[in-house]
This record gives sequence, C-alpha cells and structure tokens, in this order.
Amino acid sequence: MMIRMTRPAALALAVTGGAAASLCIVLLIALHVHGMRATATGTTRVKALQQAVKQYPEQGPALQEELDRLAKDSVRRADRSALAANILLLSVVVFLVGAKCLTALRPRQAPSLPAVREKRSEGTAPREKLRRRGRRGPIDPANGNGCGREPSDWCFVNAAVARIGRHRSAAIPLLQSIQTQYRFLPEDALKRVCDLTEITPAQITGVASFYPQFRHSPTGEHIIRVCHGTACHVSGAESVAEEIRRHLGIQAPADTDSLGRFTVEEAACLGCCTRAPVVQIDATTYGPLAVEHVIEVLDQHELVAELANQTSRSRSNGNAWHSPADERQGEIRIGLGSCCVAAGSDKVHEAMTAAVAQIGAHARVKRVGCVGMCHRTPLVEIVRPDGASALYAGVGPEDASALVRRHFPPAGVARRVGNTARAFWTELCSSNGSTATVRCGIDLRDPPVAAFVDPQRKIATEHAGSIDPVDCDEYLRHDGFAALRRCISALAPQDVIEELRRSGLRGRGGAGFPAGEKWHRVRQAVGEPKMVIANGDEGDPGAFMDRMLMESFPYRIIEGLAIAAYAVGAKEGYFYIRREYPLAVQRIRDAIGECERRGFLGHSLFGSSIALTLHIAEGASAFVCGEETALIASIEGQRGVPRFRPPYPADSGLWGRPTLVNNVETLANVPWIVRHGAGAFAALGTPNSKGTKVFALAGKIRRGGLIEVPMGVTIRQIVEEIGGGIKNDRSFKAVQIGGPSGGCIPAAMADTRVDYEALGAVGAIMGSGGLVVMDESDCMVDIARYFLSFTQAQSCGRCTPCRIGTRRMLDMLDRICEGRGTRRDLDELEPLARNIEQSSLCGLGKTAPRPILTTLRYFRDEYEAHLSGRCPAGKCKALTAYVVTPECIGCTLCAQHCPVDAIAYRPYERHEVDLARCTRCGICLATCPENAIEVVSPCPA
Amino acid sequence: MPRVMVNSRSVEAPSGSTILEAARSLGIDVPTLCQLDGLRPNTSCMLCVVEVEGRSGLVPSCAAPVADGMLVETDSTAVRAARRTVLELLLSDHVGDCFAPCEHTCPLHLDIPQMLRQVAEGDLRGAVNTVRADVALPSVMGRVCPQLCERTCRRALIDKPADICVIKQFVADSDLESGMAATFVRQPPSGKRVAIVGAGPCGMASAYYLCLHGHQCVVFEKLSHVGGRLRVDFTEETLPARIIDAEAALIGRLGGEFRLNTNVTLADFEAFHEDYDAVLLAAGRLTESVSESFGLPVAAGLISTRSHTHETEIAGVFAAGDAVKPNDLVVRCVAQAKSAAGEIDQFLRKGRVDRPPHTTSVRVGHVTREELTSLIPPVRGAVRVNTALSNAAALSLAGVQQEAARCLQCGCAARDRCGLRTYAEEYGARAARFHGKRRSLERQFSAEGVIFEPGKCILCGLCVQITHDAEEPLGLTFLGRGFDMRIGVPFGAALGDGLTRCAQRCVEACPTGALAYSSSTCAACGGETTGA
Repeated sequence: MMIRMTRPAALALAVTGGAAASLCIVLLIALHVHGMRATATGTTRVKALQQAVKQYPEQGPALQEELDRLAKDSVRRADRSALAANILLLSVVVFLVGAKCLTALRPRQAPSLPAVREKRSEGTAPREKLRRRGRRGPIDPANGNGCGREPSDWCFVNAAVARIGRHRSAAIPLLQSIQTQYRFLPEDALKRVCDLTEITPAQITGVASFYPQFRHSPTGEHIIRVCHGTACHVSGAESVAEEIRRHLGIQAPADTDSLGRFTVEEAACLGCCTRAPVVQIDATTYGPLAVEHVIEVLDQHELVAELANQTSRSRSNGNAWHSPADERQGEIRIGLGSCCVAAGSDKVHEAMTAAVAQIGAHARVKRVGCVGMCHRTPLVEIVRPDGASALYAGVGPEDASALVRRHFPPAGVARRVGNTARAFWTELCSSNGSTATVRCGIDLRDPPVAAFVDPQRKIATEHAGSIDPVDCDEYLRHDGFAALRRCISALAPQDVIEELRRSGLRGRGGAGFPAGEKWHRVRQAVGEPKMVIANGDEGDPGAFMDRMLMESFPYRIIEGLAIAAYAVGAKEGYFYIRREYPLAVQRIRDAIGECERRGFLGHSLFGSSIALTLHIAEGASAFVCGEETALIASIEGQRGVPRFRPPYPADSGLWGRPTLVNNVETLANVPWIVRHGAGAFAALGTPNSKGTKVFALAGKIRRGGLIEVPMGVTIRQIVEEIGGGIKNDRSFKAVQIGGPSGGCIPAAMADTRVDYEALGAVGAIMGSGGLVVMDESDCMVDIARYFLSFTQAQSCGRCTPCRIGTRRMLDMLDRICEGRGTRRDLDELEPLARNIEQSSLCGLGKTAPRPILTTLRYFRDEYEAHLSGRCPAGKCKALTAYVVTPECIGCTLCAQHCPVDAIAYRPYERHEVDLARCTRCGICLATCPENAIEVVSPCPA
Repeated sequence: MPRVMVNSRSVEAPSGSTILEAARSLGIDVPTLCQLDGLRPNTSCMLCVVEVEGRSGLVPSCAAPVADGMLVETDSTAVRAARRTVLELLLSDHVGDCFAPCEHTCPLHLDIPQMLRQVAEGDLRGAVNTVRADVALPSVMGRVCPQLCERTCRRALIDKPADICVIKQFVADSDLESGMAATFVRQPPSGKRVAIVGAGPCGMASAYYLCLHGHQCVVFEKLSHVGGRLRVDFTEETLPARIIDAEAALIGRLGGEFRLNTNVTLADFEAFHEDYDAVLLAAGRLTESVSESFGLPVAAGLISTRSHTHETEIAGVFAAGDAVKPNDLVVRCVAQAKSAAGEIDQFLRKGRVDRPPHTTSVRVGHVTREELTSLIPPVRGAVRVNTALSNAAALSLAGVQQEAARCLQCGCAARDRCGLRTYAEEYGARAARFHGKRRSLERQFSAEGVIFEPGKCILCGLCVQITHDAEEPLGLTFLGRGFDMRIGVPFGAALGDGLTRCAQRCVEACPTGALAYSSSTCAACGGETTGA
C-alpha cells in the first residue's frame, strides 16, 4: 500500500534522515575504537583461558564461568554497536525514503495477493486473470520442442530409443521419458516406439494403461498432487481436494481445468505424513494445508510461478560447498529429507547459505538426511568444531541470519556494522526476528525431546541427522563400506549368510520372511547369473521410512545390497524406486556413480575379483509393484501384475534367473550386523523378532516423525512416550499399523508388542512401518473404507476375488458410510472379506480385507451405529450435519468463508447452516472464533 | 515322480505338473474358466482353487505345481463356498442378458432372438426348427398369441418392437405349406405310453411335447374333432380350422394318436393304469363329480396338484390346463402342457418328479437408449426400419427378413456353452448376491462377424495369450487395471484389426459369450460354430 506523500513532506524527511545518519556515523566510529581495544584484550584472555581449560580440566567449571562472562561482555559490546548501527540504518532509510519520494513521480504498483473473499465474490475473476496472462497450452506433439515439423518425425522418440534401448524391458523407461517430454503419451509416439523396438503394440498399450503415472491427455501447466495418505486422510485431505477442484472449476471425471493451467491428481502418499494434509504443486510441497487456505496457496503459487517465468530465476537446490577452511568454526546441519523440505527446510537452507555468505561466517552449511523429529521441522543443528552442538526446531528462513550471527560472529568491523544494520532492519520488518534463539532452541535433555529420542535405537538410521547423505567420504569416516570390505576380504559368502541367519533379521517389507533363509535359497538355487533387487517401492500410504533411508543413507543401502550380492553370488542388481521419490532416485543414482568411480562397485569391488553392476528402475506409481513378482514384471517392462508363487523369485525371478528381492530397510540393517556381529543385533528385540524397526509415526499425535525402536516395545510406549500422546487433548482411540495391509489396534490393546507374531495375533501386521494414530474424532468405518478404497484402486485386476471382491466390499462400505447401508450389507461384509483373504492370488488381495476385519472385530458398534444413521465420530459427511449453537456472536466469518454459500450473512444474529447446500467441508468450523459450530450425527430431520 | 493325494486318492504326477493335471488324471473334475491346455496359467478366475494341507488360504490348482506328499482337497465345504463366491462376484459384474427379455416373457421360452437371426439370414428351415423345438402348434399360436414378448422388446426404446408374432406365424405357416419339412430334435423312443384326456390346446400341446420326449401318446377326445376351445374362442377368420387340423396331423406324424368320439369313463380311467405308464388329464374344467369319481381331490372346482408340479395324488396321473388352473390365454395352456410334459418325462425315466433345477440367468435390467444403439451392428443398422408388418397375408419373405433383422439380439448366443453359467448353476451361485454400479452395455463388431461384448468378459486372458502366441500384428491386450480393466485392441483400433489370424480360436476359447460370432455360421470355415 502506498502512502500519499506530498513533496514538502518528502523533503523534510530526507533532510532529517541525512542529518541523523551523519550523527550516527560519528557515534559508531567512537564505539568501534573502544570495541577494538576491548576485543584485543578479550581475545588474549579467552585464548589464555582456553589453554587453561585444557591444562587443568578439574578447574573447568570455574574457568568456563569466566569464559562465559567474557562472551557475555563481547555480546553486550556487540549489542551496543548494534543499537548505534540500527539508528544509523533507520536514519539512512528515512533519508532514502524521502529521497525516493522526491524523485518518484508515480508510485509503482506492487503485486498484491487478492483477498479470499474478493476472489470468490467476483466469480469469473481468476479466469480473466488467467486469460490475461496468456496461456502456455500443452505442447503440440507434432512440432513441439523444436524437434521436428512433420508429425511422423519423432526425433525425440528416436533419440530416446537410442539412449534407453530396444529391448522389451525398455518399455517403462521409454514411456516415462516420452511423458516427461510431451506431458502425456501421444499415441503416435507409442506407435513409433513399436516400429523402432521389440515392444509390441499390445505390450505398450497394456503397460501405458496399467501404470497410473502415464497420462493419455496433456496435463495442465501446473500439477497439483493432493496427498491421500492415511495421515492426510484423517486430517481432511478429501475436503482439501474438493475445495481445490471447486475453486478451479474442475468437475470429475476431468482432472484439468478448462484453461489447461492446473491438473489435479491424487497422490497415494507423498510421504510427508507429519505435515498432513499435504499438497504438492509442481515441485513445491505445501503442508499442513488447511482447507481454508487452499485458495490463498493456489493464488500465491500461480503468482510465484508467474514471477519465476518472467525473471527466469533459477533456484539452486544443491548444497553450498565450502572449502575445508570453512569448517574452522563448525557446521550448520539442516535436514533436507522430502518432508523437511515440505516444512520449508530448503528455504531455511537457502537463507542459511545466504546468511553465512553475507555475514562472512566461517561455517559450512550442510545438508543432512532425515533427522526424524518431523514434528519439529525445519530442524537446524549447529555444531562447533569441538563437537558441542545446539539444536533449533521450527526454524524459519527469517531466523537464519540471527542464528548465524549468534553462533558464528563475523570477523571485521565493517561486516559487523553491516550485519547489525541488516539484523535491525529484519527485526523491524518481522515480529520475531531476534527471538529465534529463544523460540527455536531445544535441548536434547528437555523431557519431551528426551522422550522422543531416548527410547530409540538407531541401526538402519545410524548417524541420522549428522551425516551428509551424498558425501561418500563422510560415510567412509563413519565406518562406511567397512562391512562390505570385511565380507570380501575375510568372509566366505556362506559365512555372511550364516551371520545373517544368526542375527534373526526378518524382511522389513511387511511379511517378515527371515532374510538369511531367503539369501540361502537364492545362493542354493540352480541357474546363473543371479540377480539382487532392492525394493524401494514403498507405496503404503502413511509410510515413508524407505524414502527417508534412501534419501539419507544411500551408501548404506548400496553397501547392504552389495553384501547381499556377494553372499548370493549375484553380479547384477537393481534398485526399484517409486517415481514419487525423485530425491531418493537422485541420491541413489549419484551414490552408485560415486561408488563406481571409487571402485566400490563395478568390475572389481575393492580390487577383488568380485564384480557388481547396479541399475535403477523407476516405478510408475503402481502400489502393487511392491509385491516381488509384480516388481519383477515391472522391471521386465510388463504390466505390474503379480503371478502365483511358487516358483519363488529365489528360483525363477528376473528374466527367469534366481533373484533376491529385499526391502531397502532390510538391506540398511545388513552393514551394521556385519560390523557388530549377529549377536549384537539378536540381543535386541523379542525371541522371534530381532533388532529394530523403523516406523513412520503420524496422525493425531503430538510428536510425529521417523523413529527407530527396538522390537518388543509396546504400542503404548510408542504412542504415549515417543509420540507424546494425542494432540489437542483428545483421547487415544486406535493405531493403524501396517498400512492398507495392516489392521487397526484399539487403544485397549495398546500393550501389544511390536513383534511380527504379536501383531499378527491381533489381526494387524508389522507391515512396512506406517503407524498412524487415531483419536476419538476418527470414524473407524471411514478408516476401513479409506484403506479399502486405496487397495481397491491399486488392485492389478488379475484375480477375481481382488478385482471384483474389493470393489463389492467398497460398495458395501460406501453404502454404510453414506447412510444407505442395510443389515444385509453388514452381514455379507465379513464372509466376503474372509473369502477374499482366502482366495486372492497375491499379498495385496489377501491382506486388503484386514482393515475391515480388524475394525469389524474391535469397532463393530460403530458399524451398527452407521446402519442406524449415526456416525459416532461425526466424520461421515452423509450422516452428519453442521449446526450453529447459541454461542454464535454473529461475526459473519463463517458466512464469509463458506465456499458454497450455505450460511447466510446475518451480522449480529445467530447464523444458520443450510444443510442442503452444505458440503461439510469444515471451513466454518475452522474459522469460527467462538467454536459455535457443532457437528451432529445423525442429521436432524 | 512326486506322489500326491487328491481327495484321499493317491496319484503319481510328473514333476512340474500342476495340481489340476493331477486331479484330472484321477478323473476328478475341478472347474476352470481361465485355463486352457497348452496355454500358460492365467490364475485369473480363481475357480480352480483347492485346499492344500499346510498352506494358508486356498491355492489355484491350475498354477500350483505338485510336490511330493501333498494332500489336496478339491471339493471341501470351504472350497465350494469360495468357488460360489467367486462365481457370484463374476456374475455381479457380468453385463448382458443370458435370455433376451422377449424370451424371458414368452411363456414357452421360445428362443426368439435365434429365430429372428435365422429368418434375417434367410435360414427359414433353421428358424422352423428353432420354433418347433419350443412351441407346440406354432401356426395356431402365431394367430392367437397375445404377443407378450413384444411388450418387453427393447427395440421399443429406439423405435418400435420387432414384429415377433407375425414372423413366428410366417415361419410356422411356411413349414406347414412346404409339407412339414421341419427336422425335430427327438429323443429316441422310450417305449412308454401316455394317455392324454382331452384334445384341446393343452392336450394337443402335451402330446406334441411328449412325442418330442420320445414317448408314445394317445389322446382321447369325446368330440369328433380336435382343438377344443380353439374352435370355440376364435372365429374361422382368425384361426381357420385347417390350421388346427394341420397341426394335429403333424402330431400324428410324430406318433401321437387321436381317439375322437371317445368319452373316458371311470372304468376307462382305471384301465389306463394297465395300458399306460402315465395319464394326463387335460380335458378342461371337469365337473366335481367327475373328478371325484376319478378319485382326485378337488378344491373350488379345480384338481389340486403338488406345489410347483402337475402331479396329482395318484402316482402317474398328472393334470394340466383349465382342469388345474383356468387360463385366459391359450399360450399359458400350452406353457402348462410344456412343463407337464417335462414332468411326465421325468416320472417315466426316473420314477419321480424333481423340483425345477436351479437356473442361473443374468439380466441387465434397465438399459439406456444410447446403450441400445450400440447393440445395432454397423452395417445392417442402416436398413433397419420399422416395416410395420400388420397383415400376415401380405408378408413376403424379404419383408419378414427385413423386419427380423431389426432384432437387437439381446440374449446371449453363447449361453449354452457359457462356463460361467454352467458352474453358477452347479454351485448354486446367486447372481444378485452382490450388487453395485453396473458398467455400461456395449458391443463391438468386426467385419468378419465376431462380436465382442466387454460387459460379459471375465478377463480370463485366454484371448490375450492366443493373439500374443499367434503373433497378431495388433492382437488383444489388457487395458487399464483393477476393476476397470478391460480387454481391447491396442491404440483403439477396430476389433477386426486385432483378430486377423486367430479369431476363431479366440471365440472358441472364450469361456463366456464375450467373444462370439454374430451369425450362426462361421465366416472363416463355413461350418457350424459352437457359439451361435
């Protein structure tokens, strides 16, 4: 907003500012001279004291006190200078503003975000705006990208085929590259692929229509992925998706708005469960994105994208590398896992890098993997060379310079003055700039932090939050590749397998098959060459540990896979990674490249005669490909359809060769086991479940995050101690463990131990490690329906029980949740579920009924209530109504925000919800300052 | 060789063979839909599941290899329940009519679509056979039929119903005029004799059906002519007497004997027991005294019969027609005669009458106009206009053909070879157990006469494998996945483009009516096809 300013006023402003500035300069010079003297003596004393500390450690506390006093003195001096500098800056600013106003004839219009209410009331405004901005339509496949003018001239396709290959197994990479190029799969391009390769039309159309990644119509300019993971679901992802579609005017089954600007997709899980509900727009992840902020974010994103287009500003996402000298003063570690990024840690990283450069601090800004404390992200750890560290949580970009200044005071007066001035200015602009150290600082000894950290035992996530994921040297310094080296030089493959057997390690992908046994089978299998596959196709909604492991410890997983390959005698291996995890793909790819350069992989591992080549296959958004036979089919370039076992992949897997398929978490445990011995691993856990398990803890919990706990801890310990109990003082109702293949365990059974058999006994499974906590406001029928709708959508369609059976179960649950359910639906549900469990072909179908069977077992009363038209948790939209209570003060906020105008605007009167219009989106609940809107069920007549 | 126990019977099976093969080598039938010898197991239908001791869940026997010492159970309660559920699930997503609505409505269940198809193709003789297989006295029925079938004809949604009744009359008349050239599908003579009392429509029709069942019939009529109420209820103009006589003559040719001017007395009735193996009372409404004197219980003037059958209290004595239930419509009398004849046949062969067996029949229910339009074959669709046939006399063969071609062929050409239907009946599967949103009804046609109905496809994958193995340039492939998965030709090409080499093999392999030939003869080989 521009203030109207007359010329005389501006003149006065400029003159005053100028005079004040001159005065301050004089003051500053005086202060500086004094400061220089004091610093000189101070530095000498500090040095002497430090010496003394080393020499007389017993005097440590006393000396430390003196050191602290000196430090405080220096800070006080700095503060005085800062004050003067602040005043100087203020005067300069006043001067500048005055001068500027004098020269500026016309005020420049700054881009401003339109208010929510305005946009809505105008109706057509956004569309007009879009039209004005012009439209970059979908690329015309015929002559797009300057590749060729003639429709038949598919030089891009030709090049892709030349690069990727002509074999049948090239189908998926080819389709992925075509889609990246054209934003969909033009039919002619696919025909061209068939002409050039061994791929048949039947194969390519079959594959292209199987994987949800592939699109057959162009996408809009921006792709909005609304996460429908478990945690997001319980946090209202559906309402968010609805609101986005409503705002963009996209009506199902279309997914792109009429102007081709936005395409809205559903993502099974973006793996940022602790930030739920999460929405990803292009490469930016927003979360938590409450439904009432949807419109703001969309507008903001569009504006940002627009600006980015105009200025062609490129944002570097890489690590800022400094020379080793920079490490003199220590390092600033910032967790840069995908969910940290969603919380804004990349911005913190940028700001931190900028701040370090600006301030001239001798610190290295270091990207580290997932820290695990997702509930406190962005997390910044500042480590001094002596190893002392300070931890800051919930840091924002605005805190960066304050933190850098606090820990790494710059050398040189000029810089200090500049910094102080800047800091002052920042403080002036933001309300909380200087409080960063107080606001964000956390201590590992704090009870909540200790409760989160202490019960954990890090094996797969060893050194979490302290090592740089892509720095091979650092991995080596932390005993990296020691295990592989030891295997190759000192252990026979049989010994490695024996060691693994004795460790009791079981598959961490879900089923818990003993890893040593699997390795042994592959080793014994007839047929050469053998293959190894690391399964990184983590598709469970609500689970993100595999992603975190691949992003944070790529070398560890490569080492684990290499040990596996050595043990079973394989010379070739694959990583199969979800394409939703681009960072994981990138990190593994880079790490493989680095290992090859260093001779850890390739023709000769560590100079031995052992060879191992590793490839990466990217998934294409099919959950079912986590099943090992489907995964193998997918690598072979087929539709990701599971087949009957036996033969097991151990006997006949990829290309018919004996193949070992292990989950990445299983592999991440292997180096530790080799280094520390099977006994150390087996010492942890229960008789049948050894070691630790990584869980993605999310949902209605105070402290969500990625945790690694020893087997045998109870659910209650995880929820109440590590997780800190339920958010918002609600009561703990159940945990959903194991994702769509798992089950719901009620709070009453929270003393169940984390153990393969114990969890199986209560109807759940260990699963891959998603652990979503639910409170009293979660409807268990809705949860069952949610998981079933996921598995139903992910069914490959091969076998009847899963293909039609899951659909029919979902029909029944839909009817029950929508209040159309009959006694017959409920009676038929269980027998059908049991039948599907019995006669489905693969694990997906066999486990799909579990969420239903467990909720029927523990929460049958809720199903019954739904039959009588009541949703006890007030979650099922068709069975609930919003009612305004007498507490309403008539502030009209709800009426203003209601997206469907279901609340009439009546100032100072008690409002009313028009139930016929109301979509139960929950915006009014969130906006009402008096909590005067109540959800009631059943609907009043 | 591994030795396995299937249903407690031991068998040696070659290493690498499947449980299914082992079971079949013992003569144990395991139902399959998606399995075909010589092709790789599809493990799609999961109908072949069996119990294997030591394995949790059920195992698809078509893919599971045998192992030494395996204990297999192929017909346990759990297995049967699982198979039934699988069939019910398939039926819940099976869009199509086993029987066309017209055929459903017709009390005689005449295969109307087939008759119309044959007429349209000019195969009048085939049409006569189709009609004669189900309808007694077709020339009579063509004139007096109340045309219930036309009321449910789906074609009415597009323009007007097909003129079924007139066509049937034309077909039957042409048979009579051509000297009754129809070939009857008759059972071999059983050597049993049946006495029928009354030569009205019910008696005549019963005689006809019983003759087809291979039994010898004697019809006793107290009047001097056959036809009973047919001569009373209808004018000579509507139903000329010569037609009735001609139909009677045809029954005579089949071996039926009419004894006119013969009043059946109590003594005669008792004598029947010695001379005949069964008696059918079809003499219209009897007076109570007569019935009682025959020893039959009477209620409200009607002979009471066992529920759902036409059996009376006296073993071997059946009753049908107005004597049991007054019928306004001649067609219902004939329908009663048809079921009574079926029961008498059962009684004569097995000594007892069973309740009608469980039949499975899938029905689409309400259909939209758009869906119906997709059922019209593209080539002949253009000439399909309502020719408004009204006067049978004015009918020409060409006119009738054109009218018959308007039939949408709602019924399923493959229902008699349909594995889904066969097993559904065997396992007592109810089509209505599960329900949900119906997918749309549609039909694709190839120039070579193959019809593909995606709604009837159970996605067994046999045709996909066959086209793949035959190295079809395009072939068939799975499109999409999960519940929405379909079979289709790549790149949205026409059905014919996908089936250039192996159409016949695909049609023959199809376990349902999803792939079928549109005409009764196969375009490729010229021979009779299994399907239509």
